[in-house]
Amino acid sequence: MSSDNTKSKTDTIQTNQPTSRTTFGRRNLLKTGSILGLASLAGCAGGGGSGSDRDTFRFGIVTSLSGPLRYGGQVTKRGYDIWKNRINEDGGIEVNGNRYEVEFTYADAQSDPSTGADATQQMIDNEDVDAMLGPYSSQVPLSMGPILDQNQMPCITGSSESPQLWRNQHEYLFGTIPSVNVFVSEVTEMFLSFDPSAESAYITGVNGPFSKSAAQGMREGAEAAGAEVLGYELYPVDADRSSIISEAQAAEPDVHLNSGNIDSNATFMSSAQELSYEPNGFFQHYGINTPGFKNAGDAAAYTFGATLWLPQAGRSGGRLWGDSQTYADQFQAEYDKLPEYTEAASSATGVVYQEALAELGAEPPLTGDEQTELIGILEDITVDTFWGTIDYESDGENYHNNITTDPLAIQLNEDLDPEIVAPAEEAETDPTYPIPSWSDR
Amino acid sequence: MVSIGLFTQTLVNGLLLAGIYMAVGVGFSLVFGVLEIIDFAVGQYVMVGAFAGAALAPLLGGEALFAVPFVFAAFFVVGILVQPFIHHVTTGDRPMPLLMGLVFTFGLARFIRGSVLTIAGPNTRDVPTNIAVGSFEIPSIGTFPTVRVATALFGIFALAAFLYYLYRTDGGTAIRSVAEDRDISRLMGVNINRYQSLSYGAYAAVTASAGVFIGMVYSANVGMGMQYTGFAFFMIVLAGMGYLPGILLSGLVLGIVQSLTAVYLGSEYVFFILFGLIWVLLLVRPTGILGKGEVA
Repeated sequence: MSSDNTKSKTDTIQTNQPTSRTTFGRRNLLKTGSILGLASLAGCAGGGGSGSDRDTFRFGIVTSLSGPLRYGGQVTKRGYDIWKNRINEDGGIEVNGNRYEVEFTYADAQSDPSTGADATQQMIDNEDVDAMLGPYSSQVPLSMGPILDQNQMPCITGSSESPQLWRNQHEYLFGTIPSVNVFVSEVTEMFLSFDPSAESAYITGVNGPFSKSAAQGMREGAEAAGAEVLGYELYPVDADRSSIISEAQAAEPDVHLNSGNIDSNATFMSSAQELSYEPNGFFQHYGINTPGFKNAGDAAAYTFGATLWLPQAGRSGGRLWGDSQTYADQFQAEYDKLPEYTEAASSATGVVYQEALAELGAEPPLTGDEQTELIGILEDITVDTFWGTIDYESDGENYHNNITTDPLAIQLNEDLDPEIVAPAEEAETDPTYPIPSWSDR
Repeated sequence: MVSIGLFTQTLVNGLLLAGIYMAVGVGFSLVFGVLEIIDFAVGQYVMVGAFAGAALAPLLGGEALFAVPFVFAAFFVVGILVQPFIHHVTTGDRPMPLLMGLVFTFGLARFIRGSVLTIAGPNTRDVPTNIAVGSFEIPSIGTFPTVRVATALFGIFALAAFLYYLYRTDGGTAIRSVAEDRDISRLMGVNINRYQSLSYGAYAAVTASAGVFIGMVYSANVGMGMQYTGFAFFMIVLAGMGYLPGILLSGLVLGIVQSLTAVYLGSEYVFFILFGLIWVLLLVRPTGILGKGEVA
């Protein structure tokens, strides 16, 4: 039946315009094919510019929701999600007097750089995103950088600290948290200037990209402060700490600085306590204000650390959250925990996009040209937020990294609560330094 | 110039590490000798033991040491229940039983790890102790952390108990006869299945209990098992495969070489030196450092 109908229609067309119809059909086919081909090429070159009709800004997020980095992946997710929830409650991002809500599309990097790279490419090809938000850790964004550049897709990562990211000079990749070597170096100088100022330091660290950069920052800070570095040792993450600590103990430094992940830092402090290693102070660059580090119990007390933000930091300004405490209160209400600085940085990254898109003045979806224009705006913009001032570098070895936010030296008190002890203008209290001996705790 | 104080402390650290490794290696060596399997799950028994210590301690006044008897008993039962499956895949007309056992225990290891990850999550857990805290010092020798001393004593005690049972009791004689030749043991009236179950149960119990102690030293982490599997392999090769008394020596070598390498060469060379040692040993003395192990 249907074939008969088809035949009949075809016959009719052929009867009315037999020759011209056939010719037109071929030309039409060629034209249509050419247009489709050019459109798909333009789509590839444009990196996400699309003809879709929507009134929301769509952000793609590649982060590690599974695998060893999934704790950090959840940190970024919480930070981004609370920004999205808050901005949508507010009506959305304001552009030319209109408001556009935000929607997210997540992809799991599975804690693996190559999976993260594939997920980024798929996000750009298939999800029609206007811009991207980056993952926790530095290895995954290192693999994403070339893909972002190739597809001209803007991305800001709210939780990556390796200096290598910025040395690669990726045009479309930005980072809100300062390079670990930069801020750790500054806090090391603060730590070594406590009274009595340390004349010697022993530096150890886990031999991984992130911790190694932190250890290098510690060494730069110690040398800048005029302290003698008695030892500098990088060790595998699974290494037993007793030998490392015994070696440091024999060198009798004034202070010990160590860099590693949260668990290894906690193990380090427990081992130091077991072996009665008692310099004037311990400095761990990362994670002292986390439950994982506090697992070390008494051994964790009085440890010094570096951070870029705490709820009590007193930072203020910008949209959505007027100050750091307001943000912390809302975060606590939503997630039943206090935010870490990486969570806060991820939320602040959203605020930067909010300001930049308002300045761009383009409605969603963004075209390729508008995405490229957004890069120029991000390079020039300075945004005051509850997290601090954010201003991405436009050249040099910290290209597209925000190194403006001031770092803080913190110390856990005997109840394992963090207190800001430097710089002086932001300090809540004086440092307990030298720290009490193990037997006095 | 070598500091004498640092040198003696390094030896102390190495000796205490040796005790930790003995606690892991002793059961592993036993099941290799008796069941003729390389149990890839050894490190996961350590891991799950540490998590069990973390979970039980709050119920026992915050003291993980009190969890050790419960963990021992529970994992003895677990071992008794798991062993028939291992027996099933390594006997009958199946080809390459050693490989079948390796594959089965590899799957078991993945299952244990995945289960703990699902139930307990990826975060590290503290395994608390209020008894084994602090340290004591012996002048001119060094500092002895109490928790490490307790762990080392557990390892030595476990090894001594196993050796006593194996060499001073009828049951031990039966187990040794199974290790020597299963067919002849069966002909002599030894209940093979029973002694293989007992051996695997004892191995699982001791290894998981060692996990509680190791958790007290370091903490419980889902990823901690793999390195203890590696160390256990190292120990049975060095001791001589299936030769239980050699575990004492291989534990000492592992602990002391690790400590000396970390201090005098650098921590990054530890595995290079340890596994270089194994390669050389396999080339020149495949029956182990005492020459009393089996040749695979």
